[in-house]
Amino acid sequence: MAKVDVGKKILSENDRVAAENRKLFDAAGALVLNFISSPGSGKTTLLEATLDRMPSDLKVLVIEGDVSTTRDLDRVKAHGATGVQINTGGGCHLSARMVAEVLPELNIADADIIFIENVGNLICPSTYDLGEDAKVVLLSTTEGDDKPMKYPSIFHESRLAILNKIDLLPHLDYDDTRAEREVSVLNADCDFLRLSARTGDGVDTWIEWITKRLEEKRS
Amino acid sequence: MHELSICQSMLGIVEKTMAEHAGARLLRIFLDVGKGSTIEPVLLSEAFEVITANGPFEGTELVVNEIPLVGRCRACGRTFEYQEVALGCPECDSVDIEIESGLELAIRELEIDEDGAGDSPGGETV
Repeated sequence: MAKVDVGKKILSENDRVAAENRKLFDAAGALVLNFISSPGSGKTTLLEATLDRMPSDLKVLVIEGDVSTTRDLDRVKAHGATGVQINTGGGCHLSARMVAEVLPELNIADADIIFIENVGNLICPSTYDLGEDAKVVLLSTTEGDDKPMKYPSIFHESRLAILNKIDLLPHLDYDDTRAEREVSVLNADCDFLRLSARTGDGVDTWIEWITKRLEEKRS
Repeated sequence: MHELSICQSMLGIVEKTMAEHAGARLLRIFLDVGKGSTIEPVLLSEAFEVITANGPFEGTELVVNEIPLVGRCRACGRTFEYQEVALGCPECDSVDIEIESGLELAIRELEIDEDGAGDSPGGETV
């Protein structure tokens, strides 16, 4: 019997492809954000609201990930985005390879911002690097303020947590301070924004966050 | 979640390593799995049995070293293990905490039978 040293991350192949994606994105100077949330938190609605308010001189591309249909891609296209849809056919997360395969369909070189809307799932996408600059996790007020501790992995990995649907707070018993505190316990370096994609409240602050990150990346 | 796709990635690495040991039989795979990694060891073992059935690695044992989720408080320096509900540093209540361990998902080492004709881990003679 003999022991053979391996010392390799199980996801090292995904990480290798993610690094290649990252090289392409960096060469283009594009800021890439990977949106993750439970189904129905409002990722697509937030992208629509974002596309409506982005400075017009910034070129935005969207990579949509869903189990099936092009519904989300159709929605963001109606708000002026250029993009592509990935259908996983049952897979619960996007992988770096899935993203790599669609990049030739997009004009990455001209892009300023690339939004990747991941499959609706608060668990699995957290462990897959796609080559993004940052993971952005969405919570919504209709999901319960005790969510972060129940799904710690994605909060460990995210640069920003967005609490959506704040327009519904008067009708709910949601303690947004509690949710914010739990996020910061899990990840002291994760920013926290509150907004309503539907009414637009707080969306300008989110746009500022994006443009600040783009500035930082290019400086 | 998705333990089956994790097993596929794992087997990819294992196959490459075993290709360097022609004729050897794989007995055990030693894994480091962090408690914050989202991967559940019991489900992983079940998925592994499914994916290796009737193949060259059928009967290989997965040995999982579960690594606790540990944070270090940047305010007072105290390290602590995350329990069910962590509301901040147990010492000073700060939320400025850095994760030190518990997010791992790696193959540490393999145990092989170099002449490939020994007993299976279950004790049956080949």
